[in-house]
Amino acid sequence: MSAIIEVRDLRKTFRVSERESGLRATLRAFVKRRYTDVPAVAGISFTIDAGEIVGFLGPNGAGKTTTLKALSGLLYPTGGEARVLGFVPWRRENAYLQQMTLLMGNRSQLVWDIPAADSFRVLQEIYKIPDEQFRRTLEELVELLDLEPLVHKPVRQLSLGERMKVEFAAGLLHSPKVAFLDEPTIGLDVSMQAKIRKFVAEHNRRTGATVLLTSHYMADVVALCKRVIVIHRGKLLYDGGLAALASRMAPYKLIGVTLRDGADGDGLAQYGEIASRDDARVTLHVPRDDAPSRAARLVNDLGDRLVDISVEDPPIEDVIDKVFTSESVS
Amino acid sequence: MIATYRTLLVGQFQQASQYRVSMFLYLLFSLIRPIIFLAAWSAVAAARGGAVGGFTVADFAGYYVCMGLVLHFTTAWNAYEFEFEVAQGRLSPKLLRPLHPLHYSVVENLTWKAFTAFGLFPALVVIAITFHARFETQWWNVALFVPSLLLGAALRFFLGWVVAAAAFWTTRVNAVVTLFDRTAFIFAGQIAPLALMPGILQTLSYVLPFGYWIGVPTDILRGGASLEQSLVWMAGQVAWLIASYALFQIVWRAGVREYSAAGA
Amino acid sequence: MIRRYGRLLALFAAVETQYELEYRVNLVFNVLQQLVVTGTSLGAVLILFSYTTTMNGWSVAEMLILIGTYYIVQGVADSTVGPSVERLLEHIRLGTLDFTLLKPANSQFLVTMRHFKVRNLFGVLTGLIIIGIGLVQLNAALSPLQVLSFILALACGLGLVYCLLHCLATLAFWFVRVENLLVIYGAFVDAARFPVDIYPGWLRLTLSSIAPIGIAVTVPAEAMAGKLDLLGLGAILVATILAWTFTSWFWKFGLRSYTGASA
Repeated sequence: MSAIIEVRDLRKTFRVSERESGLRATLRAFVKRRYTDVPAVAGISFTIDAGEIVGFLGPNGAGKTTTLKALSGLLYPTGGEARVLGFVPWRRENAYLQQMTLLMGNRSQLVWDIPAADSFRVLQEIYKIPDEQFRRTLEELVELLDLEPLVHKPVRQLSLGERMKVEFAAGLLHSPKVAFLDEPTIGLDVSMQAKIRKFVAEHNRRTGATVLLTSHYMADVVALCKRVIVIHRGKLLYDGGLAALASRMAPYKLIGVTLRDGADGDGLAQYGEIASRDDARVTLHVPRDDAPSRAARLVNDLGDRLVDISVEDPPIEDVIDKVFTSESVS
Repeated sequence: MIATYRTLLVGQFQQASQYRVSMFLYLLFSLIRPIIFLAAWSAVAAARGGAVGGFTVADFAGYYVCMGLVLHFTTAWNAYEFEFEVAQGRLSPKLLRPLHPLHYSVVENLTWKAFTAFGLFPALVVIAITFHARFETQWWNVALFVPSLLLGAALRFFLGWVVAAAAFWTTRVNAVVTLFDRTAFIFAGQIAPLALMPGILQTLSYVLPFGYWIGVPTDILRGGASLEQSLVWMAGQVAWLIASYALFQIVWRAGVREYSAAGA
Repeated sequence: MIRRYGRLLALFAAVETQYELEYRVNLVFNVLQQLVVTGTSLGAVLILFSYTTTMNGWSVAEMLILIGTYYIVQGVADSTVGPSVERLLEHIRLGTLDFTLLKPANSQFLVTMRHFKVRNLFGVLTGLIIIGIGLVQLNAALSPLQVLSFILALACGLGLVYCLLHCLATLAFWFVRVENLLVIYGAFVDAARFPVDIYPGWLRLTLSSIAPIGIAVTVPAEAMAGKLDLLGLGAILVATILAWTFTSWFWKFGLRSYTGASA
């Protein structure tokens, strides 16, 4: 496999004006504004191979969108290098733009007053898509996304979810080799999120396009990405398999125990920290390395009282949350 | 009420300070039209050997400098934003607050005028010097001008709201506003001092409310009329203010009823 | 290259016209509004001319030619570049300009020629009619050379207005609440209803240089009225080329600052 996206030591610093509240501060700002430098991306490196779907995770303000914008070509970085499909993205050469797409869940590229079908025709002309290919791709997208009833209505009449589906079609009409998806499911209801997810997976399978995706919904990431890149405060925290994320980031496991008599949960505290308790079921936090031995001890000690026991990694949301809230992460 | 206004004003000032550049751009609107017609009348006066109907170039300059001032302090723009508010559904939350939407508009106007006045005065002085403006202003002119300006501003404010209230019934407020603006353009004393309006147009100018918005305060400040004449004009201002306020009350109440009935 | 952009232009116009035609009542109201505006503007000029026969050397007939030219220039600007520039400001504000910049086509073309309001072309028609009335009033033979120089000067004038609007829109990269920048344009457009030579020095200079909307109307009108010499025609041609060069550079400069590239 060959690297489609290569990023080395990417940096971007923004200059922002400070604003205080209160009348006097406002009047002062009227005369003279003060600026501070904010490093949005502070040197990150990674490579992504062809056909991968990679989840790009981080809390608000971590630098996800900035990185995505630099990779799509919209932002000129302060330092570092990047190659996407062999191009330096921020040169915005037509040959590059022809092969990539950027979709943003909270922004629309379609003209609201006219039906999407008309916007598609304009896009065909702009991307110089041959008629035959255009017809085929559109047919496929219409089928996959179930767009038939939507494309002839003015975009402003569509619901948020419907509009996002049409946005997807607009962004993928030219069969891009690389797709940057920035929060593609934001604000959508659960079933629409699932539909979009299914579509992205299917589209990736059919076309082999490389996808870099940011999302606040872990379900998106779990469903689509084998690999995740986690950034926090502009720095890379983790780059690797989704499954391994938990073992790397969370130094504990969860042991779930269900007791026949339900009572006497307190006695379990000696095996690990009690995380939750729900009738007969108690969940224990135990250090990752000790998990097997503690579980064995529990089976041994509780004997007949034990109905069920399980050893699990903590849910991915909790892991991520813990990563972002803790200051010192090694 | 005073406390409410204080709070609203602080809020407006904060908003305004963010848009400092654009505020000064809007100042251009108060200035450009007086300058255009001042230049045009100067050309006409030059072609006639220096004066038109008793107005020399210096008199025109005096008139239009005063008009720039009046235009600036009496024009209310935000009634036009009302259409937008209705269309966007932003009016409903405002109607639910225990304060008439009118007051926001008053505060917005006050702020905008206070901010831009700093730019306006130097600009008017420059125009006055460039065109060698002549004023025949006496002490009583200044004394009468202040109430006359306030009357003109209030008159324009309520007229603007009457026009804006059209948004309750139609989505084509734009057309109504255009009609209002263009009628005012002809009759308010912008294209010519009211005294120079030919024939029937002059009669109409003194009957319609527009002249009492711009032409009258302008001529009072310039010293273009006798004391008696000025007082008669101001009586006209008061009459039209009462009429436009009454009209506003009727239209607004009917409008809100229409609006609520439509289920907005 | 030119063929491709020609096709794009035709497609953009077709799509937008189709949308406009669906709202026929709007169209009618728009035409009525334009008639009211044109009528009152003509009225204002006639009031001025009720006191004189010439204004700075311009007779009523010549003045009508000027007003007609004004409505042609305004009609073209308001139906082509104007709407695109308005959208550009909106795109910058909402952040959707990003999508345009990522399209494999000339960005300057895409932002200035994307949206049309064909209904405003009605102004061009009114303009032509007013010029016609002016020519009849003028009662002089019209030479082919006059018409030719009018067309050339008008093309230059339109080019200048395009540059002005595009430059104003480009300023949006640095200023917040940019739609107000068009206010400058609106204010100066108002001044172009009269020949630039009636204005005091500083305003005449402004209307001929940084806001060339004044000469954009006056010079073609002079050409039609037979008041323009070759020097004047050459001057507006050179000015247009310079303005065009500057505008392209300024747009690229603005883009660089938008994308954070050091200038």
